[in-house]
Amino acid sequence: MNRRHLLQGLSGLAAASILTPELAQAAGQLAKGSAAGLDWRIAFADLEADVAPAAMRRVSGRAPTGLAGSLYRNGPGKFHRPGGSVDHWFDGDGLVRAFRISDSGEATLAARFVDTPKRRADTAANAVVTPGFGTTGRPDAQVGGPDDVNAANISVLPVGGELWALWEGGSAIALDPDTLATKGVKTLRPDLAHMPFLAHPRPEPGGDIWNLGLSGAQAIVWRVGRDGALKSADVIALPMASYVHDFTATSRHLVLILQPWVQDKMVMPYSASFSWKPAEGVKVLVLDKADLTRRRVYELPAFFAFHYGAAWEDADGAIRFDVCATPDAGFALGNGANVMKGVWEAEPASILSLITLSPNGSARMEPTGISGEFPRTDGRFAGSPRRFTIHASAARSGPLFNGVATHDWKTGKSDTYDFGPSHLMEEAVFVPRPGGSDELDGWLLAPSVNLLAKATELHCFDARRLSGGPLCTWRSDVVLPVSLHGVFVAA
Amino acid sequence: MIRRPIEPRRHAKSMLGALALAASLNLAASLAVAQEPATLTVTFQGLKSPTGSVMVSLAGSEESYDGKAPPAGANMVAVSGPTASATFSGLKPGLYAIKAFHDVNGDGKMGANPFGMPTEPYAFSNNAKAAMGPAKWAAASFEVKAGANTQTIDLD
Repeated sequence: MNRRHLLQGLSGLAAASILTPELAQAAGQLAKGSAAGLDWRIAFADLEADVAPAAMRRVSGRAPTGLAGSLYRNGPGKFHRPGGSVDHWFDGDGLVRAFRISDSGEATLAARFVDTPKRRADTAANAVVTPGFGTTGRPDAQVGGPDDVNAANISVLPVGGELWALWEGGSAIALDPDTLATKGVKTLRPDLAHMPFLAHPRPEPGGDIWNLGLSGAQAIVWRVGRDGALKSADVIALPMASYVHDFTATSRHLVLILQPWVQDKMVMPYSASFSWKPAEGVKVLVLDKADLTRRRVYELPAFFAFHYGAAWEDADGAIRFDVCATPDAGFALGNGANVMKGVWEAEPASILSLITLSPNGSARMEPTGISGEFPRTDGRFAGSPRRFTIHASAARSGPLFNGVATHDWKTGKSDTYDFGPSHLMEEAVFVPRPGGSDELDGWLLAPSVNLLAKATELHCFDARRLSGGPLCTWRSDVVLPVSLHGVFVAA
Repeated sequence: MIRRPIEPRRHAKSMLGALALAASLNLAASLAVAQEPATLTVTFQGLKSPTGSVMVSLAGSEESYDGKAPPAGANMVAVSGPTASATFSGLKPGLYAIKAFHDVNGDGKMGANPFGMPTEPYAFSNNAKAAMGPAKWAAASFEVKAGANTQTIDLD
């Protein structure tokens, strides 16, 4: 056996892994003890043990009729261990939460860690020994494949009667949606074991689920049925070995945004394998879903982004999608690590912007000037022309956001609700109103960490009237670390 | 997120090369030197699939283990149950280490996914674990003494 090649392979995998979650943003340092003694650090603190299902207390309003089901969310939940801790928020153990709302409007909350080899190894060592996105790990960590470093901590995907906990450098990990118990690593085909499966799959309304996995300047394009069965998997070449956390899609095309944070080596932590090369600009690769060899590349000036909204194709043939963009990868390298030390440094806000890819081959990006992150849309319109983007909004002087908003691309207006500095908002998920069909006819469900009450809350808004405030708010007895991404499954 | 494909087939070729080399040189016989020879029986256990074969490469030095020198021996053992064993005879007493994989589908190659990650079980002597690369010689090497020796490796 050729040791060098095997070594490369394995270091790739170790490294390969890596998840990357999200962006927080804010503009200014939160002075210690300021803001009425509110301490954002509780939103990044360890959860020591699983949380058994427990009732949440309704503290205001009333649940709307027809809102019943489960909001599943994922995000890192355990960061520190006696013998050594993660160096980056993105490297905490995946903690899957289930907010369940009954027909009668009662809510419960449960949370359970994904039982990953990484969590087992770190628990056994009583130290974080496993390398990750921003964590070097120990050289003797037992890493035999990408799934040995899989934190399973970014998002969740309901498919085939299971709930998959997703990271981005390794396999999906299947959970039981009722108990959140870990069933095991998903291998979609034996020869594709341990291939990366990004945390931002793109489900077609009522149809297949498209996803990517990245390895340098190569990607695997996954197509999975709603039953969880693999329909196709193709490896494609990319114009640039960019860091890719998310992509987008129209009904006909896959849209891969290749930003100039480019992998030029393989070292630990994984994030140190990338260099910022703004002169390269952003290359947007558009693939025909029906024939992945049919491709077109558009070019844009340099920016960095974690997340995109669902793309659509207008009657004029232009492809449009939204992005929450920053000037560079500053958060991934800076505050994403700083928050683990209880530190936040001022950084540029991510700005909601619209990208247009024109049939003549030109591309442009138009910033709205609105700060935002975690863009989501009404999933029934994914891939088709739409009008609204849901996003976290109202950033202040610390991590994350204090409010939620929708942006209307037709009128240019925003509908916003700002809780003020006492709440750190998590990503909002749209829930359609049963019987409705118009875009945003339904509700937004979004948790927050209430810094005053020191508790995790769940808020329900009328998606078309956020400024009126929550229709209903439930409060848990516990505070969970902020989550990243979620999905709603109707009862 | 490996920077480039890992050329999995070259692993496999290396392993196959080792096997071919061993066969062509009749390695076991050629290594039977004047001093009292040793025999090593390697038992693989925990095999999940009763198919294919176990490919074994035996290194008699760190250089050999690291692929910089020919192996001291190589073997291919058909798998029909949860265990399989390979015997190397005529060995010179000393330090040895083993790399092995279960060629589950019998294609003669160490299976790898399109990005080069192994998809078939592999293991090292002493059950030394991979640590972002093959287990190190220091962890995988063991002493073979004159006479009969055994080594049991979990290969699942």
